[in-house]
Amino acid sequence: MSITISNVSKSFSRYPALNGVSIGIATGELIALLGPSGSGKTTLLRLIAGLEFPDNGGTVSFGERDVTSLSAYKRRAGFVFQHYALFAHMSVFENIAFAFRVLPRRKRPPESAIRERVDTLLDAVQLAGYEKRLPSQLSGGQRQRVAFARALAIEPEVLLLDEPFGALDAKVRKDLRRWLREFHHRIQLTTIFVTHDQDEAFEVADRVVLIDQGVLQQSGTPHAVRSNPANDFVRDFLDLPHK
Amino acid sequence: MAGASTLYLRSSTPPRRATAESPVARAVLIGIALVFLGLFLFLPLVVVFQEAFSKGAAAFFQAFQDPFTRSAIWLTLLVAVIVVPLNTLFGLAAAWSLTRFRFRGRSFLVTLIDLPLWVSPVIGGLIYMLVFGARGWFGPWLRENDIRIIFAVPGIVLATVFVTFPFVARGLIPLMEAQGLKEEEAALTLGANGWQIFRRVTLPKIKWGLLYGVILCNARAMGEFGAVSVVSGHIRGKTTTMPLQIEILYNEYQFAAAFAVASLLALLAIVTLFLKTYAEWRADRQLREASL
Amino acid sequence: MKKHVLPGFGLTLGFSLVYLSLIVLIPFAALFLKTASGGWQHFWETVTSPRVVASYQVSFGISLLAALVNGVFGVIAAWVLVRYRFPGRRILDAIVDLPFALPTAVAGIALTALYAPNEWIGQYLKPMGIQIAYTRLGIFVALTFIGLPFVVRTVQPVIQDLVAEVEEAAACLGANRWHTFRRVIFPALLPSILTGVTLAYGRAVGEYGSVVFISGNLPFKTEITPLMIITKLEQYDYSGAAAIGFVMLAASFLILIVSNSLQSWNNKRHGIS
Repeated sequence: MSITISNVSKSFSRYPALNGVSIGIATGELIALLGPSGSGKTTLLRLIAGLEFPDNGGTVSFGERDVTSLSAYKRRAGFVFQHYALFAHMSVFENIAFAFRVLPRRKRPPESAIRERVDTLLDAVQLAGYEKRLPSQLSGGQRQRVAFARALAIEPEVLLLDEPFGALDAKVRKDLRRWLREFHHRIQLTTIFVTHDQDEAFEVADRVVLIDQGVLQQSGTPHAVRSNPANDFVRDFLDLPHK
Repeated sequence: MAGASTLYLRSSTPPRRATAESPVARAVLIGIALVFLGLFLFLPLVVVFQEAFSKGAAAFFQAFQDPFTRSAIWLTLLVAVIVVPLNTLFGLAAAWSLTRFRFRGRSFLVTLIDLPLWVSPVIGGLIYMLVFGARGWFGPWLRENDIRIIFAVPGIVLATVFVTFPFVARGLIPLMEAQGLKEEEAALTLGANGWQIFRRVTLPKIKWGLLYGVILCNARAMGEFGAVSVVSGHIRGKTTTMPLQIEILYNEYQFAAAFAVASLLALLAIVTLFLKTYAEWRADRQLREASL
Repeated sequence: MKKHVLPGFGLTLGFSLVYLSLIVLIPFAALFLKTASGGWQHFWETVTSPRVVASYQVSFGISLLAALVNGVFGVIAAWVLVRYRFPGRRILDAIVDLPFALPTAVAGIALTALYAPNEWIGQYLKPMGIQIAYTRLGIFVALTFIGLPFVVRTVQPVIQDLVAEVEEAAACLGANRWHTFRRVIFPALLPSILTGVTLAYGRAVGEYGSVVFISGNLPFKTEITPLMIITKLEQYDYSGAAAIGFVMLAASFLILIVSNSLQSWNNKRHGIS
């Protein structure tokens, strides 16, 4: 599913978080939104997800569909939150099964089908056997993967990750980065993730989008951006020599 | 009620041992604290039960045979059964709208909810007198249509609602504020509708804070005196609640009976304290677990 | 463009506003209008009549004394409860909230029973010529009871979060315990103490049930202002009652403003420590 963002702006009580940003994302791309804290990258992600709505004028389209006024679920956007936002009182199984449980009665699959789907998802994130655990009994990396599986349960057309590895320690981060790349390769789902860590962005993404102060700074493959930084911000942020 | 607003910020790690006071100073301070708290807290409690049984156990139980006392107990329960669910509903609605959204006038509303804790309960009764009383706004119209609010049960319910509506809201607002709404947003992305989000995600998160508020609301609803005193008319058998009945018995010098009824309420207070402390502890724990 | 992401905004806010309007806003509007409708003359006469003014002395004056006493002893109690371990500490800690949970009428008759001339404590004070019940002293006792939890509960979390290292540093620099308290600990606690005292004051000013039994309600001596409101109502002087209610409301509002500013000062300081 390709994504087109056209001229979106967003202010929070007079604080301009995003200013006229336009991006196109091709089907199956793995994109990193990179920038310092406060740059607006998370706001942009949430706008794509449908967890925020742009101020007048901007549009968000998935493929041919204008989804600007649609809520997150209607967009079929899977979202993984920075601190996972797992349902603390539910088991791993129930967390992942949640999307099925809240379907209207006529659309809801029978219990056995739900079980099957959840097991498949647990396998996909290599957490088979953890069904009965509570989130408090899992490590950070495991919780992260449960959050993934939970988001995938709705069979999204787009996967959005908010600083997915931010809260984890270095070794786990490296492992999960590799895992994400490989996972994306397997399922070929259009994926966008937000990070402030340039190593992460450059290692994992097909294309890097740099944002600062709510404005798009540069967009291109890791190689292209490194060899042709567009402006001083990009140079400074990536520690590249000035001309 | 300072306790409620700092409820969820109180750390519960054991206090660090800084340089300690001398044993003498320590003993003196503990002594002062014990005398102060004992004098002002323990003694009144003890007195209630002692006086209740001062004429013997038989007289104690005799006090509850009095039909007026019985109807007072019944009325108190009735009022609580009406007021607590109403205020719980309000508390949930207010907490949801105030913590899940940002809008102009939000902080004014939060302050407004605290209002009954700041004004004298007598004012809580006065305002309904001014609206529904004989010389109030609707007084003549109510009389014409033979509807009784003041000096009848509806008036008592209204005054009690006013005095107790902050409690559930105040138990929930700081809790829901601190917990954040990421889980609710996650549920939204997974396709849950409003009711499902509330029932499956929010309610389990807040249940101890909710219980805390309900317990306090109930205790205050059953024990309210000043506001109810203004609107009730003190009609025996019809509009006296337990606190009012205590006053009547006391003024008639039936001390043992007055204290017998008071001991019931004192018992309720003790139970309330225990339940509240437990709910507070669980809510605290839930909050800390959520921020893992 | 849809404004809110989570559902239920209209429903919950709407319900809350309707509820608040019916329970609070409209009745309070009645209070203001009734005060005004009585006319300025009647208002002024009522709120400055000698008997009512005497009640201000009682309600506002004695409440202040009680709040200050709570300020002193409440801090000690909070300190002892946080810093020391002794048998019964937990129970004592739970009981601090008793004045919140105990119905005011029950507290009222209990305190009267304790301090009436021939009773528990009163009987020991009688030969000394001290009478508590039916005097302003009795009102003072009742108002201290009522305000007790406010100081203790406001100060406790601040004591709990005091950083041990700061006290240890002071000790290393040669301060004895008293100096450390005076220059390091007390200033850190001051905002919360003031907040607690203000809260206790606000509560005591409006208190009715705990006081009317022990006060004896002697005109010009031990009548509290809320009682004046009730008296006016019994005389069908609604606008007079509203006038006194208005004065009490204005006072409560003032105290609320002071308390809020103190609380934001407290939060700022507390956050830094």
